[in-house]
Amino acid sequence: MNVSCLQEHLSKGLSIVGRAVAARSTLPVTANVLLTTDDGRLKLAATNLEIALSCWVGAQVEEEGAITVPARLLIDFVNSLPSEKIEMTLAPRSRQLKLTCARNQATMSGVDADDFPPIPSVEDGGSLELDPQELHTAIAQVIISAATDDSRPVLVGVNAQLEGDRLTFAATDGFRLSVRHLTLGSPVPEPVQVIIPARALAELNRLLPEETDPVQMTFNATRTQVLFRLKNVELVAQLIQGTFPDYSQIIPDDHTSKAVVDVAEFLRETRTASIFARDGSGIVRLQFTPGEDVAPGNMTISARAEEIGDNLSELDAAVEGESDKIAFNSKYLQDYLQVLEGGRVSLEMSGPSRQGVLRPVGDDSFVHVLMPMVVQW
Amino acid sequence: MLEQRTIIHVDLDAFFVAVEQARNPELAGKPVIVGGDPDGRGVAATASYEARVFGVRSGMALSTARRLCPQAVFLRGDFTAYREASQRFHEIVRAYSPLVEPGGLDEAYVDVTGCGPIVAPMTGGLESDAPEEIARAAGEHLRRRVRDELSLAASVGIASGKSTAKIASDAAKPDGLLLVPAGREAAFLAPRPLRDLPGLGPKAEAALHRIGVRTLGQVAAMPASRLEALFGAWGPALGERAAGVDSTPVASGRERARSVSREGTYARDIVDVSVLRGSLRGYAESVGAELRRQDLRGRCITLKLRYGDFSTISRSRTLAQPTYADDEIYRTAASLLQDTLAKDGRAVRLLGLGVSNLGDDAVQLGLFGDETQPQDELLHSIDRLREKYGQRALQKGQTFFDPHVSSPDWEPEHQTGLSSQMGLEKPD
Repeated sequence: MNVSCLQEHLSKGLSIVGRAVAARSTLPVTANVLLTTDDGRLKLAATNLEIALSCWVGAQVEEEGAITVPARLLIDFVNSLPSEKIEMTLAPRSRQLKLTCARNQATMSGVDADDFPPIPSVEDGGSLELDPQELHTAIAQVIISAATDDSRPVLVGVNAQLEGDRLTFAATDGFRLSVRHLTLGSPVPEPVQVIIPARALAELNRLLPEETDPVQMTFNATRTQVLFRLKNVELVAQLIQGTFPDYSQIIPDDHTSKAVVDVAEFLRETRTASIFARDGSGIVRLQFTPGEDVAPGNMTISARAEEIGDNLSELDAAVEGESDKIAFNSKYLQDYLQVLEGGRVSLEMSGPSRQGVLRPVGDDSFVHVLMPMVVQW
Repeated sequence: MLEQRTIIHVDLDAFFVAVEQARNPELAGKPVIVGGDPDGRGVAATASYEARVFGVRSGMALSTARRLCPQAVFLRGDFTAYREASQRFHEIVRAYSPLVEPGGLDEAYVDVTGCGPIVAPMTGGLESDAPEEIARAAGEHLRRRVRDELSLAASVGIASGKSTAKIASDAAKPDGLLLVPAGREAAFLAPRPLRDLPGLGPKAEAALHRIGVRTLGQVAAMPASRLEALFGAWGPALGERAAGVDSTPVASGRERARSVSREGTYARDIVDVSVLRGSLRGYAESVGAELRRQDLRGRCITLKLRYGDFSTISRSRTLAQPTYADDEIYRTAASLLQDTLAKDGRAVRLLGLGVSNLGDDAVQLGLFGDETQPQDELLHSIDRLREKYGQRALQKGQTFFDPHVSSPDWEPEHQTGLSSQMGLEKPD
């Protein structure tokens, strides 16, 4: 193998695939990164067996070849080099990768490329294209609700349902639920339902802001893997097998009161209250009063910590229906408000012990359901 | 001499059943048993007094209960309703004194010493300002409020110390009030059986029976040295309590524990991980029961290990939701143990388990119904049975079959208090 590329390109590519390098694994070779010449470019790949990331870097290929080298060593070394051309050579039947850059020379002991777990090629199970920025927002809005502990494996995933011209993402950790619809350019031929690990989508989301071309999402025929194809990057994830809970029934159809408030104000006051809430169980209490005649309605946000103090703030709110109150985990509320894109948000309630339903005003593609906390008022 | 205290112990009668009867008046006056499906293998959590007439008792197999009282109404139980009633009950109780110690879902200790100025306005004046009259007025008023606002019957015991007050409230049941005048404690306690005294468990009872001691009066008459020989440092305190002398303070919420932990030193260093896991299960049950008793939940689970060379480490994990569930505490600790032993598998001299970052009883509701409710009910039922019949009345197979934990000598060191943070070094 003999291949040259620019330090900054290699460094960027390694920072992308480095996210998939296994931290601790029973398969030592997964701590390596795979370098392969591929059609006039250099392909970098890493996998922790749950996800695999591949990235193509512009290069000058003199001689084809492949090798794996320890990821940490290669990344740290490349990052410390000046931004000039790096030449990598591997003598035939050797496992010593030689790197030359400016006046620096290094040799790394590698492991045969054949020992690297094959990265599955994902095809035949249906494919669709998505706008990268819309996908980015949608993923951010659902993954906040996915569970982080593995006690119920399906809940660390995001349910993806394809039907007609609609893709619906849903995630829940048992205390909150996000449901986000995306409209497709063309209808899918048959419905598809899969559960994608939220961790894989979080990795995908780090890459999406820089993308401009549509992202291709493909399943394999047995619906055990998903591939996201970006311009220069591919992410393959193992899908989660199991039954996602039926969430349609936990989004209530009706409510007894509804408040509409400004998102930025709501977020700011929730953050303020949570300073006092962090010593308790993170509880913020919301109370709503409808307006009378010319007086506008309002919402108060309060928090208290025993032996420390309390905090109360008030903001204008359009309140329909009865006065009401509800207490939430302040972290959950902040998680939600942070993924909204400004504007106003409505909160529908039916008393302090029923779920609160949050929707951005004027946008029915995103519904968030938040279970309250039972507190002494 | 110390200031004479006046302590009220208030206890709701047949709590679970009473809540059911309060919200469904058709059940009033009928034999009602809360516990589950009578065709199943459950036990009665509570039985109404009407059912107790037929010999039904808490902790009895439901099949037996049905044989004794076939006409009884059997209910599965609704823990959300019980918890709500419990919260309102504790809110009422807190009106009478700043010093209130919850003793579980349905009971509390109230120190009303010097609380005349609080009680008088509520009761529309007091006939006398004698401490016992203040307490009696507060007790009657409290009973009336609980009846008016919650439709529940509360029994009240009044005495100069916590243990006597608790025994008095038991004696006052159902729906009564019993005041033990200062100076009459010993006479009141003397004829009572040993097990009436809170904290005197089956082991101590058996030891006393062996030497022919059957009443609290006999215990009170034993010389302190004899009790110390039998029970160690705890003995003389037991003698005092049996005589009605009990200066244990009523611990209000402000002084609630910041952590609850258990630890134990092995007679020989242990390498076998199954022994360590067995101990953790035992500790988790004990810590969980203590948390539930104080109505606290904790978020931080800490494992403490001391190796043969006395080097000590502790490892913690913070949960997303605070818990008091034995299983969750155990699972978290066992996973910490596995991670720790994977790195350092040396023989273990001491093992400890603690729960900290304790919060009040605010509960995060779940979207898919209350998944923890059946488990909550089970845990509270186990707690009640153990409180009545002793720790070994009911055991899970996991701990029962663990030779280490199930041995009669297994007794973890308890640490419950403000400063008992895990990891603090203390000499063995």
